[in-house]
Amino acid sequence: MERLNLSKLIFALLSLILLCGCWDIKAINERSLPLVMGISKKNDEKYQVTLTLPVTRVKGKTRIITEKGESVSEVLGQLRSNVEDAIDYSQIRLILIDAPLAANHLEWRKMFHYLMSSKDIPSIALVAITDENIEQMFSKMSKQGLSGTALYDFFNKGAGWAPDVSNTRIWEVYQNLFSYTNDIAVPVVHSSEDTILKFKGSAVLKNGKVTANISPSENQLVRLFQHHHFIRNTENLGFATIFVVNSHLKNKPSITNHIPQVASDLFIKISILERDEGVSNSLVIDELEKRIEKRFNDMFKQTQINKTDIFGFGQLFRTRIPYDDLHSWRDKYYPKLIVNFRVHATME
Amino acid sequence: MANLVQEMKRTFADHDDFLILDTQFNGAAIYLIGFNTLIDFPKSNFYVRQMAERSASIEELLQNLGEQLDVDAGELKKAVLDGNLVVISENERNAIMQPFPQSLRRNIDEPRNESPIQGPLDAFGEDIDLNIGLIRKRLGTELLCHCSYQVGELVKQRISMLYIRGKVQSALIEKIDRQLKQIERDIETIDDLDKYFGHRKLSPVSHLFVTEVPFQAVHLLKKNRIVLLLENQPFALVFPHLISDMLSTANDRNHPLGLSIMIRTLRVMGVFITLVLPALYVALTTVNPDVLKIDLALFIAESREGIPLTPVLETLTMTVLVDLITEAIVRLPKSVGPTITMVGGIVLGQAMVEAKLVSNLLVIVITLMLIASSVVVGVQNALYIRSLKYPVFILASVFGIVGLISGLAIICIYLASLTSLGIPYMTFRYKGKEDIR
Repeated sequence: MERLNLSKLIFALLSLILLCGCWDIKAINERSLPLVMGISKKNDEKYQVTLTLPVTRVKGKTRIITEKGESVSEVLGQLRSNVEDAIDYSQIRLILIDAPLAANHLEWRKMFHYLMSSKDIPSIALVAITDENIEQMFSKMSKQGLSGTALYDFFNKGAGWAPDVSNTRIWEVYQNLFSYTNDIAVPVVHSSEDTILKFKGSAVLKNGKVTANISPSENQLVRLFQHHHFIRNTENLGFATIFVVNSHLKNKPSITNHIPQVASDLFIKISILERDEGVSNSLVIDELEKRIEKRFNDMFKQTQINKTDIFGFGQLFRTRIPYDDLHSWRDKYYPKLIVNFRVHATME
Repeated sequence: MANLVQEMKRTFADHDDFLILDTQFNGAAIYLIGFNTLIDFPKSNFYVRQMAERSASIEELLQNLGEQLDVDAGELKKAVLDGNLVVISENERNAIMQPFPQSLRRNIDEPRNESPIQGPLDAFGEDIDLNIGLIRKRLGTELLCHCSYQVGELVKQRISMLYIRGKVQSALIEKIDRQLKQIERDIETIDDLDKYFGHRKLSPVSHLFVTEVPFQAVHLLKKNRIVLLLENQPFALVFPHLISDMLSTANDRNHPLGLSIMIRTLRVMGVFITLVLPALYVALTTVNPDVLKIDLALFIAESREGIPLTPVLETLTMTVLVDLITEAIVRLPKSVGPTITMVGGIVLGQAMVEAKLVSNLLVIVITLMLIASSVVVGVQNALYIRSLKYPVFILASVFGIVGLISGLAIICIYLASLTSLGIPYMTFRYKGKEDIR
């Protein structure tokens, strides 16, 4: 009798374990894994979501599906029921957003609230903005042989290879919606005839509002301040071409009489690739220092007018300004901010 | 003829190999009694005759020959069964003598189940005395103690316990001594003996670690362990069995330290891979593909395209099939084994992939797992690691990565719970004396 009870107990426990598991699962080859999601909103007030799905039956082939609906979540649900395989959104790498939609402040906030809270879409997916028609762009991209890593690689070349290309993830955009002191640059891309994408610069966002567009070379400075990335690139000074080997940034914030001040020193190590005859080292160094300082100062002035803290200087003052006053960083403090930016170049 | 001889003849009437050889000594008959399958009669007879020439009387002859003189009939029968030669004279005097035995033992051979590289090549044989000798030869110290037991119901079997005095706690020796003396049934296998060290009916882990190599046994003796030897079994049983036995052998240290660390790390990896790999494959292809990087996910999806079986069924089929092949190769005679290996390899590797029954990634996974499971020390250990992969696999197929991790945790908890006579299986530094309470 005791033996029977024991075996019954074991059977019950086993079925408890086995039956509460994930039975409603799809094997990996029964799932469709979309890589890129395009979101646009035409004049008809409906969201249009476009997905690229790699076709696993044929190597290197992708297909594009589009659907319209009242909201992004509704469209994603519709796509799920229409496509023959189970769509697994967990592998989405890039979300391309139509420029008109990005310009709409309220829609932008709503969309990122959804993208962030959605459990399916990974919050580490990259975000980019484009001016072009998304469907056409996707078909061009798939002609170039869009594979899984191509897009990820495009945005993650590393500072040593392409210091001007930046990447922004969903969670960073979401964070920016609420940040008092930090603004963000979202890359702007175009399609191209011979490469998958073309980098056009960045759109600067202030709490989800596009305030300016910056060029790739300006983007490089933004990256330097925001992420402390090294600049490693070549610079043509007209009479000489130099190569920046290494760079290092030091910021010293201080605040006196409600006027914030930052002493910012950029140390760079350069080597001269070619130069005209008779050009001395010191001339090259002087010219380079002036150039970078001017580039920064011009850009900084522009952002102060826009009240957009794209360099993230506000982050340095988070502990120096009372918390109740932080929300007025952009309006009250930032226009008064004095940045003493100096470049110190040395020869390698 | 003497009564005693008649009685012996009656007792062994059913044994055709029972032989009574009568010879003459000074006009009186003496009988040499024994089994001709155990005793080399012509040689023994020659020896008795030589002794007879030197002896003056029957009494003196029996004294010269025998180890025991004038014992009762019961002991004589036992002596005959043990393979001794019984000498009985006409006037009912008797003696038990050590005869020239038939050679029923193989010589010292190379180990069959372990293959030491760069190490001594002799292995234990079936003869228990020879085995003890092999250990004594390596450990010429008076501290090496040897206790002998005769246990069993049908046949009395010899069991020997060896340890180094001062290294093993005497309480532990007393405990084992008590356990061994309790044995009433026949001890044929390791499992029979295992039962006397505590109840572990369904456990895959034995209380005793098996080694064929005297070098290893001596090394473990020096490491405060106890070695048991069973008669007619060509290996030593080391008590307690610890997890480190699976990962290291004495022979490793014939290499430089760095290399031996590398070898042991590989074994740890092997254990880990065997337990994890099939489960990981199933977890990643069914439950949690989202943790994969996209190109890996697409690669796996492509390799599984058009395969009708679900990953769980596919992996289960392959693991069982591989375990079947392993078992079959062990059973088969050496001349047929390679054929099965070859056909099995072709059928499994080539045909199943080409027929799109299993994905080629799975074939890689299974091959890796099979290779990894063979790196651990000891056939017994390899077998139990192979058996433990199934629970992990089942949990992973139901719960994915969570199941895999909890399966590994359960195995860790289970192994940590094992003790033999109070010594935990998971002891990493077994200190002997201080270790046991």
